Amino acid sequence: MIQRGYSERDIHLALDGELPPDDLAGFERWLAANPDMQALAQRYTQDRQQLVGALEGILAEPVPERLSRLAGAKPRAGSDSRHLFRYAAAAALFVAGGLAGYLVAPQFSSATPPLVQMADNAIDAHLIYSNEKLHVVEVGADQRDHLQGWLSKRVGVKLIAPDLKNQGFELVGGRLLPAGKKTAAQFMYQDATGNRVSLYVTRDETGADTGYRVLEERGARALYWLDGGYACAVAGSTPEGTLSAIADATYKQLLEDQKG
Amino acid sequence: MRRYARALLHDLDAADDLVQDSLERALTRLDNWRSGENPRRWLFTIMHHLFVDQFRRSKRRAETSLLPLDNSEAMAQPAVQFGHAANGEVLNALQKIGADRRAALLLVAVEGFSYAEAAQMLDIPAGTVMSRVSRGREELRSVMDDASRRRAIRVVEP
Repeated sequence: MIQRGYSERDIHLALDGELPPDDLAGFERWLAANPDMQALAQRYTQDRQQLVGALEGILAEPVPERLSRLAGAKPRAGSDSRHLFRYAAAAALFVAGGLAGYLVAPQFSSATPPLVQMADNAIDAHLIYSNEKLHVVEVGADQRDHLQGWLSKRVGVKLIAPDLKNQGFELVGGRLLPAGKKTAAQFMYQDATGNRVSLYVTRDETGADTGYRVLEERGARALYWLDGGYACAVAGSTPEGTLSAIADATYKQLLEDQKG
Repeated sequence: MRRYARALLHDLDAADDLVQDSLERALTRLDNWRSGENPRRWLFTIMHHLFVDQFRRSKRRAETSLLPLDNSEAMAQPAVQFGHAANGEVLNALQKIGADRRAALLLVAVEGFSYAEAAQMLDIPAGTVMSRVSRGREELRSVMDDASRRRAIRVVEP
């Protein structure tokens, strides 16, 4: 194999993730043999860490109301692209995870806020049970009333398994989960091709109303929010628009049921 | 979005105004959104265009009126709480590098977009993104070095 020549340019390419994978080993060897270049690469890495760290605080700040309102805290009637927009705006305004752990020196990272923890739990639970073949749920959709009554009682808030037929998903069933010292309900849904999404709900004592936020990790994403005493997360690996439509339907049905 | 806006503009209210304008514009143009396009990239593109417009306008204003551009900036709330001295240093340095390079560097090194994605957003060839990112990085380093040299001199000659 012919070794290609490397230069300072490759330091930038490597930092930006643009160096072809095949060149990585050669690049590392070249760096090791050129202490000046190695020092430069370290310096740039350090500068970037400092830059990302200096800006990281912005992600943790509360988003001003005028912006979160635009990102669409409340569902409105509309087209698919409106769903997508709300998802995108939530993703762009309230990113958690993603870059947060990426490139950031440990001294900058802070404790995970409880709401993100809830979304993280929802993704964990989704990944565990959506891949289950035989025991996806504890109580099946054929006992819907019993399921809803039981989970409402155990979670301590009035729950229904929302009807997601318009979004192409049928209820499979549900189960009770631990959520720290509290309990959470998980409703599992499945579309015609076997894709699964799950709804994770716990009781929220704060009474806050947050609008949608997004957490993406381990190949799944959760759209989550607090409203009306519910802390909810819809988790799945489905396209963004679908998840947003499911979140809208869930949000509406939970609150309507609570009033009704 | 707020992070990118804040790093571009260094002023809290101006940055949030930019994000708000971007979201509003995006809402009115939902129909133009080609399905399949990465939504985050689309929003960043809109925001970047607004930033460029704003930047050009303020430059023109500065040229015609000869008023110092940062009149308002001096009063404005700082974009980031400088809890950490080093944070302030790197963000100040960022404001001293050219706006084109600053945008490219932020999109790629902070927001994690690829050269190809940044090229689409900035409407320039990927090769130009690459050179802006690398020059921006070099510039940032030399500005930070100058700052620390000045500090060192101050320490030596009080």
